[in-house]
Amino acid sequence: MDIALAVTPVVLITLLIGVRGVAAMRTTSDFLVASRRISPLVNSAAVSGEYLSAASFLGVAGLVVKDGMGALWYPVGFTAGYVAMLVLVAAPLRRSGALTVPDFAEARLASPALRRIAAVVVLVIGTIYVVPQFRTAGLVLTAVGHTPYWVGVVIAGTAVSVTLALGGMRAATYVQAFQFFLKLLLFLVPALWLVLHVSTADREAALTPVEFTRFTHETPVDFQYGVTMVLREPTTIVSAAGPETLAPGPLTAHRGDHLTFAAGARVPDVGGAALGGPAWQRPLLDVATGYPLLATWAVLIATMLGTMGLPHVLMRFHTSPDGRAARRTAAITVALLGVFYLFPGIYGVLGRVLVPRIYLSGDTDTVVVALPSQVDTGWAGELFTALLTAGAFAAFLATSLGLLLVMSGALAYDLMPGGLRRLRFTVVFAAIAMVVLALPSARLDAGVLVTWGFTVAASTFCPLLVLGIWWPRLTAAGAIGGVLTGLVASSGSILFALAGPRLGGWPAILVAQPAPWSVPLAFGVMALVSLRGRPPSWAGAAMLRLHLDERPPAPSSAPAYRSSTVRRVARRLNR
Amino acid sequence: MPRLRAADAERAAVLYRVQRRRGLPALAAMFALVLGLPVVFAVAPGLDSVRLWGIPLSWLMIVVLPYPVMAALARWQLRRAEKAEDR
Repeated sequence: MDIALAVTPVVLITLLIGVRGVAAMRTTSDFLVASRRISPLVNSAAVSGEYLSAASFLGVAGLVVKDGMGALWYPVGFTAGYVAMLVLVAAPLRRSGALTVPDFAEARLASPALRRIAAVVVLVIGTIYVVPQFRTAGLVLTAVGHTPYWVGVVIAGTAVSVTLALGGMRAATYVQAFQFFLKLLLFLVPALWLVLHVSTADREAALTPVEFTRFTHETPVDFQYGVTMVLREPTTIVSAAGPETLAPGPLTAHRGDHLTFAAGARVPDVGGAALGGPAWQRPLLDVATGYPLLATWAVLIATMLGTMGLPHVLMRFHTSPDGRAARRTAAITVALLGVFYLFPGIYGVLGRVLVPRIYLSGDTDTVVVALPSQVDTGWAGELFTALLTAGAFAAFLATSLGLLLVMSGALAYDLMPGGLRRLRFTVVFAAIAMVVLALPSARLDAGVLVTWGFTVAASTFCPLLVLGIWWPRLTAAGAIGGVLTGLVASSGSILFALAGPRLGGWPAILVAQPAPWSVPLAFGVMALVSLRGRPPSWAGAAMLRLHLDERPPAPSSAPAYRSSTVRRVARRLNR
Repeated sequence: MPRLRAADAERAAVLYRVQRRRGLPALAAMFALVLGLPVVFAVAPGLDSVRLWGIPLSWLMIVVLPYPVMAALARWQLRRAEKAEDR
């Protein structure tokens, strides 16, 4: 009941703002880039709102429970990407005048083949990125409302496709800008409430982790999907029939199983960092493997450079009126994200103390919504669970909106050019495809899913944009070679990590997080192939054009920019 | 094919060089911050046991330190990039 109360307003407001966007929409440009009239403040709120996905709202806190404090490097990388974006990409990309990334590729290098390849890369990144959003929507509704997994997935898919098909980017911009502040509020207030209401003993325990070795009281664990644990000593399980002692060795729990561990029983191993152990406490990733620095850098490189190549984020910069506004958007985004990312750690350290069972059942992504009811069993706990669920849903919706938009842009604008009507159909089609893919994905590893899309983006669009904007000698052949190499290397490596034999040591890290070698490889191939060819005579002009500011330096034009941002936002919204 | 007027081409070439020169220090500072902080944690594990208001110092450094620094860096770079175009 309270779940319906939480999710319905978010979905309804999303739809309402979507409908409001319909009136102003006439052309493909309206649909894809909101007629390019979004001010820096609104646009940076929209960028942040779109960017704060399920991975940020729920995933980071879940990864803290699962992998330890090192997981807090993920948001650092997510934010640092916008500094790189500000320096390297924002203004020139906007000045290219292109509507989408494939459009940019063709504008800079005049190669229709590259455009189609870039469109395919958009589809790949979009799929890898949107499936976890829908998956987490399903998991959260299951954890909070005990609905079947598919219900959440289908609700998310429907809300997103209807909003987009009606309102396009114009709707998405206001939905996402609104949702940034909604998400910030829905994340920040419960975090402060939790910190104030948690008992002093629990607060102390959160800050002084001890390894989770024994269940302090009888602990029921519900398994959302199959998990294989290793029992280190005879372990007592309580069931309706009475206590039963299991011999040491592997123990497999199936989807839907309930196991109740007796008080004092030893916690089984599930792989990864032992919860609260010495490796868990260190602010580095994969401490147990012995290569923490490599593992941490791998994640940082993927998230930092990947942000620069995420097609839905890049598209947002095309909605700014000019290059300067795009650059300001990137700078404000760094500040907005910095405020939000102060809080996931709070959920993570409290989750370790209050809901350690989540560590066993494997659905660590639900730790954020599981916390309030542990602190308060009355109405306040329920209220805050509802608020966090609403925020999480806002996160799925905003991110999926942007992703489905670029994916349908790639399909209906780059691969098979058509009008507005075809764009609208494509959105619905893409949403259905994503829902179908999300249905069997419930048990994929959250950490892998989070960085996969980033790694592919870092190995394909990041070199394409950086070299395309800053290196006049880049050729179409070089760009095609580099993008294809990056795509195959990064995706192939991660697929191998998911399906192939288990590796140990540093090869395991470099296979699961290939960014440290796949990004330089893509850059290298792009540069080498380009150097062997000869850029066309207009290549220099095509690159320099990206660096030419729109406004010739006239003193009269400057004050318009310094006018109050708030006033300009108000004017925009009142129109 | 893209063409630029001679005056525009000259201005664009100047801007390109200025922005490249001004961008590199900002980029270097960001990489130094983000890739350097893990090195600090790796070589100084003692930071985990130093406590400030009861919180391990290394936890504070990973949660609180990077964001204001990055925001300041972004602001600094934005100013410099815009100044280059105001000339």
